[in-house]
Amino acid sequence: MAVQGIWSGTISFSLVAIPVRLVTAVEPGRVSFRLLHKKDYSPLTRKMVCPKEETKVPRDEIVRGYEIAPDQYILMTDEELESVSPERSRTIEITEFIDMKEVDPIYYDRPYYLVPSKGGEKAYRLLVEVMRRTNRAGLAKFVLAEREYLVAVTPRDGALALTTLHYSEEVLPEEDPSPKKEKITADEESRIKKSVKKMIEDFDPGKYANERRKKLMDLLEAKAKEKAPVEAPAVEEEEGEGPADLVAALEESMRKVKEKR
Amino acid sequence: MNRTFVEIRERRLSLSNLGKDLYPSYGFTKGRILEYYRRIAPFILPHLKDRALTLKRYPEGVERDFFFEKRCPSHRPAWVKTAEIPQDDGERMTVCLVNDLETLIWAENLASVELHVPLARINFPETPDFMVFDLDPGDRAGILECARVALILRDLLSRMELASYVKTSGKKGLHVYVPLNRKETTFEDTKTFSKAVAAIMQKHYPDLVTAKMAKKERNAKVFINWSQNDASKTMVCVYSLRAREKPVVSFPLEWRELENPAGLDDPEKLQVTHSEALSRAEKKGDLFQEVLVKEQKLPHL
Repeated sequence: MAVQGIWSGTISFSLVAIPVRLVTAVEPGRVSFRLLHKKDYSPLTRKMVCPKEETKVPRDEIVRGYEIAPDQYILMTDEELESVSPERSRTIEITEFIDMKEVDPIYYDRPYYLVPSKGGEKAYRLLVEVMRRTNRAGLAKFVLAEREYLVAVTPRDGALALTTLHYSEEVLPEEDPSPKKEKITADEESRIKKSVKKMIEDFDPGKYANERRKKLMDLLEAKAKEKAPVEAPAVEEEEGEGPADLVAALEESMRKVKEKR
Repeated sequence: MNRTFVEIRERRLSLSNLGKDLYPSYGFTKGRILEYYRRIAPFILPHLKDRALTLKRYPEGVERDFFFEKRCPSHRPAWVKTAEIPQDDGERMTVCLVNDLETLIWAENLASVELHVPLARINFPETPDFMVFDLDPGDRAGILECARVALILRDLLSRMELASYVKTSGKKGLHVYVPLNRKETTFEDTKTFSKAVAAIMQKHYPDLVTAKMAKKERNAKVFINWSQNDASKTMVCVYSLRAREKPVVSFPLEWRELENPAGLDDPEKLQVTHSEALSRAEKKGDLFQEVLVKEQKLPHL
């Protein structure tokens, strides 16, 4: 079966529109844990609590505030938020073709693939080929899950890759991270150059595994074999009968029901 | 893939694989499922309206794997109405609201044989519109034992001045609904009340009823599942098809249909099939109408 994709629509420029699906290209290898109550292994849940009243706050009493100064907020409703959200759209419209080398890697956010949908294969291949030959990347804006992204579409092994880019305001202002200039002697420079040269290799990401993840998964597997997992208690069960008034009223009603039956 | 295009209220839908048999033992194609939901729409839509839909999808038919989908698929058409609900981890989740025929047909085109909805509407997530008793028989019990329990439950509730309504689950059990429709009543209230009722039923009919979840407790008894009265739980919607060998429906019954055990030698007689569901609904109207409008207050809380 074909990959489902997290979005489907068309990629277009000038008069060409190619049906495509967006699929993720990476999956972060994070191992996540649930937090449990040490005493009985119940999985813990988060509650929204008002520190002032020390009570759980029901959902219909929760509003959104933007903090403008300590303890000062501008309120924002769902409707207001929606009014500024971008319209969902079904197209990735390439507005310009750029040289990918001009894009500072600091702008790269997340990589995806664009997969041709039925009927789009030929035009897709053509676009990939032209982009490869001219060595160009398409720049586009596109809406995914209520957010508008700036993306670069690049040819990659006969397919199209799509990388979301950070907006320029997201890239932190350059407070020059380099140290003060000091004089470097020719001797010092040539020494460092030599050591770098000795260590030059082709980039082979396969050589590097996420060691911690691997060790963690091995450990989990070993532990699972060694000992049965702890179990959370069933949520209900405790015998309590309810408020005395209610129980009395139910008993009385039940007596009458039984009399009649 | 086999595609058919239809237009509903000026919205164009692309329907796929209408000839695919999703009930292979019985013979009921996706096209017929869509046709069932199209005709039952006037009855089911009010019960789905403004509730976060859980799709129970059977892409390879009811005898193969299914999956639950709470998140509204991102490949939905732009006109599908959605809402955002906060989750435990603080993230928000987009859910589908089935408020019109086109959305219902779109959801069914995803092979969502069963439609499940919460007890509260999206704008008042802490306020259940009704209290439910999910009667679930153990291995050696069946729908007839459920019927006995449901009738005692109805009498008990009516002594407490609460009207109740019953539907088949479409599987082995029955669902008893007590309309509330008051914004003052919370899930905490319905849980306390239903739990006390289940306990009293168990106390007085220990051979017939259990209020405990554990499977081994059930056996020849009927489990009164009161814990469905929770903001995070869903119930199969009235008029939804169920995934069994044959296309039966979770369908509202009149109480007197449970009262006369003489005609109930065959428990399957209580099940309502797709065609019977349509003819009965079209003739008698929505027997569950009151569940959405009748205002009742839980006493002694």
